[in-house]
Parts: sequence; C-alpha cells; structure tokens
Amino acid sequence: MGFHTISNDKDLKICVFMVGLPATGKSFISQKIVRYLSWLSIPVKCFNVGQSRRELGVVSPDAEFFNSQNEENYKLRQKALSNTMEQLFQWFEKEDGTVGIVDATCSTRERRQWIIKQCEMYDIKPMFLESWCNDDELIMKNIKDINSTSPDYTDVDPMMAELDFKKKIQYYKNVYESLNSQTDSEVTFVKLINISEEVIINKIQTYLQSRIVFYVMNIRIKPRCIWLSRHGESIYNVEKKIGGDSLLSERGLQYAKKLKEMIEENAPGEDLTVWTSTLKRTQQTAQYLNFKKLQWKALDELDAGVCDGMTYEEIEEVYPEDFKARDEDKYFYRYRGGESYRDVVIRLEPIIMELERRENILIITHQAVLRCIYAYFMNVPQEESPWMAIPLHTLIKLEPRAYGTKVTKMKANIPAVSTYKEKGTSHVGEADVSNKKNDKFHNLLINAPEIISPVASSTNLGKFGDLSKQ
Amino acid sequence: MTEQSNILSDDEELLNGLGSQLLTHPSSHPQYNNHMARLTKRWTQSSSPSSSSSNKKLQLPHPDTYKDAVHVPIDKDEYTSPGQLYATDSGKLFHAGKILIILVGLPATSKTLLSVAITRYTRWLGVRTQSFHISKYKRMNDDDGDDKNDNHRIPLDFQSASPKTPEGKKFKRDAINNVMNDMTKFFTETQGQLAIYDALNILKSDRKELNDHFSSKIGVKVVFIESIMNDIHLIKRNIEIAIQDTEYNQIDKDVAEIDYKKRLEINEPLYETMSSDEKVSYVKYINFGQQIHVINNEYGYLINKIVFFMMNLRDKKGRVYFARCGISDKDKYVDDELLNEEGLKYSKILTETLLKRLESISLHTTNKSEIDSDLPLVVWTAPRKRTFDSGKFFLEKGIPVRKRNQLKQMIPGVVADLSNEEIEKLYPMEYKESLKDPYHYRFPRAESYHDLAVRMESLLLELEHTNKNVLIIAHESTIRILYGYLMACSCVELPTLQFTRDNIIEVSFSPFCNKVTQVPIKM
Repeated sequence: MGFHTISNDKDLKICVFMVGLPATGKSFISQKIVRYLSWLSIPVKCFNVGQSRRELGVVSPDAEFFNSQNEENYKLRQKALSNTMEQLFQWFEKEDGTVGIVDATCSTRERRQWIIKQCEMYDIKPMFLESWCNDDELIMKNIKDINSTSPDYTDVDPMMAELDFKKKIQYYKNVYESLNSQTDSEVTFVKLINISEEVIINKIQTYLQSRIVFYVMNIRIKPRCIWLSRHGESIYNVEKKIGGDSLLSERGLQYAKKLKEMIEENAPGEDLTVWTSTLKRTQQTAQYLNFKKLQWKALDELDAGVCDGMTYEEIEEVYPEDFKARDEDKYFYRYRGGESYRDVVIRLEPIIMELERRENILIITHQAVLRCIYAYFMNVPQEESPWMAIPLHTLIKLEPRAYGTKVTKMKANIPAVSTYKEKGTSHVGEADVSNKKNDKFHNLLINAPEIISPVASSTNLGKFGDLSKQ
Repeated sequence: MTEQSNILSDDEELLNGLGSQLLTHPSSHPQYNNHMARLTKRWTQSSSPSSSSSNKKLQLPHPDTYKDAVHVPIDKDEYTSPGQLYATDSGKLFHAGKILIILVGLPATSKTLLSVAITRYTRWLGVRTQSFHISKYKRMNDDDGDDKNDNHRIPLDFQSASPKTPEGKKFKRDAINNVMNDMTKFFTETQGQLAIYDALNILKSDRKELNDHFSSKIGVKVVFIESIMNDIHLIKRNIEIAIQDTEYNQIDKDVAEIDYKKRLEINEPLYETMSSDEKVSYVKYINFGQQIHVINNEYGYLINKIVFFMMNLRDKKGRVYFARCGISDKDKYVDDELLNEEGLKYSKILTETLLKRLESISLHTTNKSEIDSDLPLVVWTAPRKRTFDSGKFFLEKGIPVRKRNQLKQMIPGVVADLSNEEIEKLYPMEYKESLKDPYHYRFPRAESYHDLAVRMESLLLELEHTNKNVLIIAHESTIRILYGYLMACSCVELPTLQFTRDNIIEVSFSPFCNKVTQVPIKM
C-alpha cells in the first residue's frame, strides 16, 4: 500500500544524475535520497562513477588525472561513466529497479547531452540534480572531510589530500557548465543553490520526480544531532499491556528526572526542541526538560485497535490468528481497527521532512514510532525494522553524516521492564535478544557504543551505519 | 482591526496553537487520570453523520449538477478531510503556523486557477484553507446581486493596479480594505490556517502593505507566489478562458477580448517583478510550472508540500469521466471474473456513449473557441479482469487502455461480499463502529476510505498532470475518492456518494470551480 504502488508503468522509471563540482555534497544528497526512498519501499540504488573508475584500475588518482587536457584520462573517465550507465540499465531491466541515482559530476553540457541520448535508447527521461555552492564555509568543510569521505584519499596524508583535492576542484571548474534556466530549458533538472537555500525546478515530468524534489528541498547539510528516547517506563509497561494512555511508573518518573541530567551532560548549552506525542507518558517524560516542546499527533504510538490495552498473552488467546499473522509479516500487519508499521511510516512524512530541516531535536516517543524513525536514519530494511530492540530508559544520539549515521546509545542506569517481544512467542523480554549475536538487526542498537551515564563522553565511540555498501 | 492581544505571535503560535498545548508541570494538572486504555482515537468522531451541522451539507443522491465545494467556507469547529494524515484539537496541522499566500501577476497568468487548485489540494490534506478573490470584492455600487464575474462593467481605470482617477483610487482602496478585513477575520475568528489571496499585487507598495499588516501585526507567515507567463500561447489561452467566463454575462466576445487585453496593457508597464531586495519569501512560478524558482527556501513542510503540488499541476484542458465496470455472473469480490453478456453489452454502450459525448463537445466548442479542441482520450481501469474488460471496446477502436494498480478497489477484508444485513449479524460491534465514522473505519483486514485516499494520492496528482480526456472505469470506492478530491467533498459525504451504471459522470475544469455533468448510459 501507499507509495510503493506508484509504479506500474514503464515510464515511471527514474534516473537522477547528480551534477556539480567536487565537495558540494552530491554524495550526501544521493545517499539521502536512497535512504528516503528505500524507507518508503521504493526500489532505489545509487551508482557511483568513482567506483566504476576504481574498477577500471584507477584507484587513487591524483588531481592531474582529472585535467581535461589529458585526452587519455578523459577517455578513461568517459569509460567509467558508460560502465556505470550500463550497470544502471542492467539493474532496471533485470532487477526491476525504479529509481537509479548516478553519483557523478556530469559537469559539461556536452556530457549531459550524451547522457540524455543514452537514456533515450532505453526510453528513460533523465533528471539532473545539481548542487551548486558558493558557500565557502560549506565547501571548505567538505574538503577537510575528504579523508574520511572519499575512498580515493583514504591513505593519503591529510595535508596532501587537501591540496590535491583543491587542485582537482580547479580542474573541474575549468570546464564546469552549470545548469541554466535559459540554455537548458528543455532539460528536466533541479538546481539546489547552497543546499536548498534556493531551488530552481525545471520541467518536472512525473509524480515520482516531484516527490524526490520535494524531499531534497527539505535537506539541510549542517552537522547536527538528533536525540531519541522512548518514554519512561509506564504502568502499562509494568503490567505488560500494550497501547493505552497510562502514566509513568515510579521508575519511569525517575528516568524523566535522569533524562534532564543526561541531556545537560551530553548536550551542554544546546538549545534543543523537544517533540513528544500527544500521549501522557511522553509528556511526563519530558516534564523536567527546560526546552521548547511540541506535541505531534503523528508521533503517537502505533494504534493497536481492538488489542489496545491487552497483554501479548491475552492477544494470543483472544486473537490467535491475528497474533500469528502479525509475527509473519509484522511490517504490513494491521491490527483490527488499528495500524500497521507501514501506516506509521506514511503518517510520519511531516515528521521526517521537518526533522531534515531542523537542528537539535529531542524526540520522546514510543517503541514502534522510534523503530520507524531509527530505520530511516540507519537504513534498516522493513523486514527487520519492526523487530529491532529499542530498550526503555536509553537515550540515543544520532549524527547524520554523508555516508551513514553515527549512533551512540546512553543507558540511564535505571532498571525498567523489557517490552521486547521476540517472534513466535508472547513472552516479553530482552535477555534472549542480546544472546542472538548473529542476528545483526536485532543487535543493531545493542552493538552501538554504549555509555552508561554519568560516565558520558560521546567522542570516538561512534559506529557508522552501513550505508556505503549498497 | 482585531485586537492584537488576541493574536499569538509566530513563536507562541508554534508552541500553542497547532494541535498542541504548551506543556506545563504536572502539579498544575491534577486531572491526570489513572491509566486506562486509550479512549481518544486518532480520529475524532465529530465527522459522524449523526452530527447535525454536517448533515445539512449533504445533497445526495443524484442532484442534476453536483456542486464543487471548494469555495464553501470551512466549518468553524469540525473539519476532517479525505487525505488528512491525522487530526488535531486546534484544527491546525504540521506545526506550520498560519500562512498567507499572496499571488502576484498580471491578468491572464492563471492566478485564480492556482489559488483554487491549492485550496482544493490543501483542504484535501486537511488544512483549513480559504481562497480570497479580489474580483469578488470589486463590485460596482449598482450591483444587482449577480454573482457572476462582471469585470466588464468596471471602468478600465478601476482595473489598473494604480488608478488615476479619485474614484478609481477609492474603488481600489475599498476592495483591498474589505478583503484584508475578511482575511484577518479568517485567521483570528474562524481558526483558518491558510489563506490565499488572489489579486494582481504587481506593485511593490501593495505587497509591502500586505506583508506589513499580516506578517508584523497579525503574526501570520507571508509567502508570495508570482505567476509569470512569457509563453505567448499560454497567455492567449488564458485570455480565451477569461472571455469564456464573461460569456455568462452575454457580452459580445470581441468586446470582452478587447476589454481584457486593455486590462493587460494598462497594467504591464506598472508591473514590478519580485526581487530579493523586497526581503520577503517568494516563489516564482513560470509558464505554468515549467519552471519553479524557490527563493529563501525556509518555509517548512506545508509550503514545500504546496510547491510539490505545483510541480504536478497543469493547466487542465481535458475532462475526467467516471464509469462503473460492467457486471459479471456472480459479482463477487473473491472471484475476479470476466464480464457476462450484459456486462459486455454495457461496455459497448458505454464506449459508444462516451465517444458520442466527446464528439459533441468537440463540435460544440470548435465553433466558439479553440480551448477544448480534440484532445486524445485515455482509459484507466482498475486491474481486476472485468474492469479491464469493460474497456475492451475502446481498445478495439485504438484508444489506449491502461491498468492502474492504484485503482484497485478498497480491500473489503472480512466483510467482502456481505450485505449490510449480513455484516450487522456477523460483526455487530464492528458494524456499529463503522456507522459512527464510515470514512475512517476499517473492518478487520480491510482498508478504510482514508487508507484508500492516501494510497491514491499519486493518482490524484497524475490526474492533475494529464492533459487528455481520461475515462476512469473503476469500483465505486475508488471513484468516490477521485470524485471527492475533484469536487472537494468532505469525508462525511464521500462514503455516501453514489455512482450507478446509468450514467457516466463528467467532470470539467474551469479556473474557479469544477463542474459535473451526467451523461446517461441508455441500455
């Protein structure tokens, strides 16, 4: 249901070609689109021309390689692009892909015309997505990060890398032709100026294209943190009941107090905005935080319909078929008169868009909703996301980066019941989960670096979500 | 002007007004009850048909011409609409605050169309939107109460953005004062969230006045959308449409055209296009969306969503037709059968009826103008066998017929193929619940209308995109959603709309409102 049913037409295959100089955030944007569309269950894949070039044997070229005066190298680069496009069309045909993103520079008009011609042969209309930047601060930051973001520079001395990279940018600049609303008026393109301060949208053809543009308009590139927490332990948690609108337990209230300390310690002096759901337990959890607070209906817990207020044992007894059906396809299973994970993902659209636009948000919400938000940032596939363990009384810090999201987990050291339910049982408990070491998604969070408050310092403990492997 | 103290500043607005209350310490909240299962549903039940105020709006079944409800003022207290993802107590959504969109542009730049289309779409999303058209405020004193556009009776000077005569100046002043008053009331008294102001606004000074008043005094976010047309064909077409409107006033077409062109001529030299030195947020909408230029993109979700919609919006030339599919023997959801004899006969007559209708329209219009000249027809059907089969005679005539997955009917779940009586007997509880809110209620394993609307959003936008005549052959449930969008139905009326096999429903587009005609299918 929902967005993934969009495509039943061959003309709905979309190719997005990135355009722009090095260090303008092209990879960042491509990865973001991949993350967003796959979260919506749309088959999407990013193809990197640098990767194709490395496959041709040019692994760690210096800037001179990108000098357009050098014909031989120019041919090699052309070859890398056409290999990438070959892979792309193969993927469309054999794996029924829907959105392909080519992370390249496509910096000259001539090259873009060549791409358009190639696509025409496959009946595909390409869309160009240019990142145009004159914000020196932003560019310099990207240049400084080059060691960690580009495989070409992994083992190069940082100073040397920076110099070489600047030279490479200069070579690109010599030939670069930005997209222009007059000369390129017949081309479908989007031009982002300083990552969406200004946006020029030209000749958008299809719904899915417009959806991608809508999304990138919300992207901001400033480094920022997103803090996530479940509400403190509630009375319903203790009674093993799901749903409801109960208050916090004694220990839950302790967590609320502790949460204030943890935030003060880990984000000293930061001006956060707190987002809660409209349910009491999240508001109670936020009560000691001295920040601006917003309630979102969209952050309310997955509605369990007729099962609201029941324990898993009761559900298994009263609705045995439902209980089984849910375990079999938890993502799409919809409680009688309630919601599925899929439904939650759809209603979270405004949350995700606003989250992309804003800095320093603390979200206090519920297990299922957090799973969906976490899956978005960590690129967790939908078969896995409903099964992730997100324990109570734990603060999670996410730091989105170009190639993945850094995650840090902070335990409040206040005991709480576990609300984790494993597949095929109505028992609740997390002890079993931590033993299942080979199940990488259950353990996604468990493997995240853990800080037991108050020994908190989040430096160098991060783990990157594995986005680059796609 | 309303007292300022009643109006929240933008910042307070973010904290207070938008479906949220400022959270206070629990000690001041002794009413925290003991825990209990959640009583408040995500969906308020205020939209239940039993509530009297909404019941009055129903005009069903089968009035001869249905009315486009896009200009009906939104209900002060209760308003839930088909595509709404969630409801809030204050009626505002997305923490977006109150927004005023001010359109800017010369005559014949589709401003009215744009404002009505945005109203339709955002209302469908659940936003409390109202469009305000200056033409409605430009009335001469001798107004006879005729509601039609009577621009031709207004002296030319009065139509200038900068009138020369004292009378013209006063005329302009009065109209602006009235519309500003009404918009202010809309924000402060009727819980409105989004107002769209449709007027020329081609002078910097006019824009500044509006921005100063609404942004600084009322605390509303102001965004300008400037519609620019430099495509000569588009301008010509827009003038034609405008003249067609004046035809209702029995004015000679040539006179109207000259008059209209004069309006364009006197305003062109006055036009000050928007630029960054005005220090306001604006979007340039060029040649009806061929190009969109978003400047100072700091608007937030709702405005970005509107830009998203504008990317999909086209100047619609074609009409949309809705028809049910032919019948099959058992007529069951589970079987997915082919058509039977009668079903085939129906499909054949449906094909003939529609083609005849299209032919008569094309004859009728080519005499007068070139607006609706022969547009191709495309048929969209649901993926079920008999529905697709119902389009087979179109296919034989070389008209493209496409299966659309989004047209898959509402999944009925456990109540598939049951009559109302049977449902009541087998699922008494569920049945009772479903009557309270037929739009949002889901039977076990089933989809609700709301689920259907959300999953069909892409098709709605594609419908906005398509520049052809489209015949949609589908199940009643999906027709209700599409029709409900095009005619701005509320979610109370939507589940009660009836589409029978006796008629093809034709929806035609015009800038101000959509019109419905029934084309009888004579078996």
